[in-house]
Amino acid sequence: MLKYLIIQLDDTSTSFCHYNNDRMTGNLIPIEILKEAIFWSMKENLTIQFLYPDYELPEEYKSAIASTFHADIVSSTCEDLPLRDNADVVVFDTFDNISDFQFNDKQSYAIRTMLSRLLKNANMLHAILPKVNRMNVIITDIASIKGEWENKYAEFLEKLGNKVLEEYKKGHYLQINLLTDRLLLDNMNNCNAGNESITICPDGKFYACPAFYSDKDVSYSIGDLATGLNIKNPQLYKISHAPICRICDAFQCKRCVWLNRKNTLEVNTPSHEQCVVSHIERNASRKLLSKLREIGSFLPGKEIPQLDYVDPIEKLLS
Amino acid sequence: MKQTRAITFIVTEACQLRCSYCYLVGKNKINKMQFDIAKRTLDYIFSEPTFISESDIILDFIGGEPLLEIALINKIVSYFLYKASESNHIWQKNYTIRITTNGLLYSSDEVQQFIKNYHEHLSISISIDGNKEKTDLARIFPDGSGSYDKVIASIPLWREQFPDEGTKMTISHDDLPFVFNSVKHLISLGINKIDINPVLEDVWKTGDDKILERQLIKCADYIIEHHLENIVDLSCFEERSGIVTDNHIIPYNYGICGSFTFAVDYKGDYYTCLRFAKFSLRTKEARSIGNITEGIDWNLMRPFQTYCNQITSDKCIKCELSNGCKICPAENYDSSSTSSIFEQSLSSCKMHKAKVKAKNYFWNKLYTSREENG
Repeated sequence: MLKYLIIQLDDTSTSFCHYNNDRMTGNLIPIEILKEAIFWSMKENLTIQFLYPDYELPEEYKSAIASTFHADIVSSTCEDLPLRDNADVVVFDTFDNISDFQFNDKQSYAIRTMLSRLLKNANMLHAILPKVNRMNVIITDIASIKGEWENKYAEFLEKLGNKVLEEYKKGHYLQINLLTDRLLLDNMNNCNAGNESITICPDGKFYACPAFYSDKDVSYSIGDLATGLNIKNPQLYKISHAPICRICDAFQCKRCVWLNRKNTLEVNTPSHEQCVVSHIERNASRKLLSKLREIGSFLPGKEIPQLDYVDPIEKLLS
Repeated sequence: MKQTRAITFIVTEACQLRCSYCYLVGKNKINKMQFDIAKRTLDYIFSEPTFISESDIILDFIGGEPLLEIALINKIVSYFLYKASESNHIWQKNYTIRITTNGLLYSSDEVQQFIKNYHEHLSISISIDGNKEKTDLARIFPDGSGSYDKVIASIPLWREQFPDEGTKMTISHDDLPFVFNSVKHLISLGINKIDINPVLEDVWKTGDDKILERQLIKCADYIIEHHLENIVDLSCFEERSGIVTDNHIIPYNYGICGSFTFAVDYKGDYYTCLRFAKFSLRTKEARSIGNITEGIDWNLMRPFQTYCNQITSDKCIKCELSNGCKICPAENYDSSSTSSIFEQSLSSCKMHKAKVKAKNYFWNKLYTSREENG
């Protein structure tokens, strides 16, 4: 069931997820489409998330956006400072100048980074943790995480877990998606693009998510406001129709349907690397849970069992 | 555990015939496999742990018409045996050469010499649709003339050399009324194993299922009345077909791409099945899983590896007769609105159901007849 509508306000709007938005030329969504999309989402009872460009929007856009309940997602480089300082989510595409940023405990933050840069800037991330309540780390090159990088990622997460542990000891119960989401989940909590959320883009068309608009290799729309939503094979976006994911307990995995489509040609099938990365995170969460219990009672009854695989397809094919 | 892998070499995209129902829509005389492509594929097969751990191998030669390239096939088999011997692999003994042919070149000296050399490991099936009427309706030359008289000439020799081999009878809309007489004819030729395949493409018209059902019921009556039930094996009377299932997982269907089959074309592109090669596809681009330079991309294999575990059409999930339904991932892909192998094509759904009804009739009549006869 649909719950969210993401409105990408401009071709250059910030990416907040695994995909890169390489569009450099501004192309603002027509105001009529924006208003119509807002009207449609109100009728459909959807929560709107706006993806902003870096430049300040015209007043009539601001008025339209203010007319409905919504969440704002902006880049850390957004020139509209009042917007940036009050946005629900601020996205960083780089670690440059991140230590100078004025974090606050009301906002959530996301860092989009290649794994190599994440490892290189681990100390910078550690330094941010005391300043935030919610941090999402989004790795943008999951497909290339193989071999020794798997071990390096596991080591990074272990150290990150120790930093999280220090914060918890201080009574600062921050959330960081890579480690703490799995602790709190009992079921899959995936992105659910195409199932619970859809996106409308500046061309006036619906997409499963902004990645399907940005990535010309896999771009395809699922309808428009004039003719209505037309998700072909909607069942394939659901966990019940994802043979590998439905038997998996790496509940924090985003199960990115765009990455699935890109790497395996099917939206319901994750790549090996996606599964391995999610299991490295899951297993790091398991270790963190154990350490948290050394300092006191924590999530009684919650267990993350030990597994003998890092890719659930092994379980399926055995 | 004993496991078998079938390696399909698409040795040519040429064929002497233009069968009206053929799914190879891009047949041509240009694209032929060179030995180097086959050699590098075998080198890869012998280096790939997933393959070499399997106990049995089928070298499957297909086209177009594979016997047009018998010299190449001979060379590929020789190289395979050299590789198996060099690595002292169990495949030295555990190999089968499988060829499906239109039979037009079957009696040629080159083919007969090949049969002589490899008879013990050879499985050859000649595709003959049935009687002259049916065969000449569909299995035709480019000038429109029928192929029955030319193919039938090789049948006695084939039966003598491969008495246990069966044939595939493909059925399309036009030749439905000839199914029963064709089955009778094939039985009279000594062909007792008949794989009856309604085409998977969207060719069926209203009432076709009823015609097929009636034709197959006549086959059932004929087999039982002539006490041929222990001799004749009609695939559509497979007892498990259509038994009630109650979940998404269908254990007995066509979803074997990737777990059993592997194909290579003239360019050295790898597929889970030849039906993903470009000359097999009506509307989509080829869907390869790798090539001779880079090997298999295992991420592209994953949907095929999990295919059997996921029937995604609600209609199929709810279908109580889905067991044995010949769901083809390639036909799904070709007819899909989103290029997905998981979007079930329902084109031949009613034909499957017709087969199940005839199968039910066959077994009920057979059991009744056995009881009556003590």
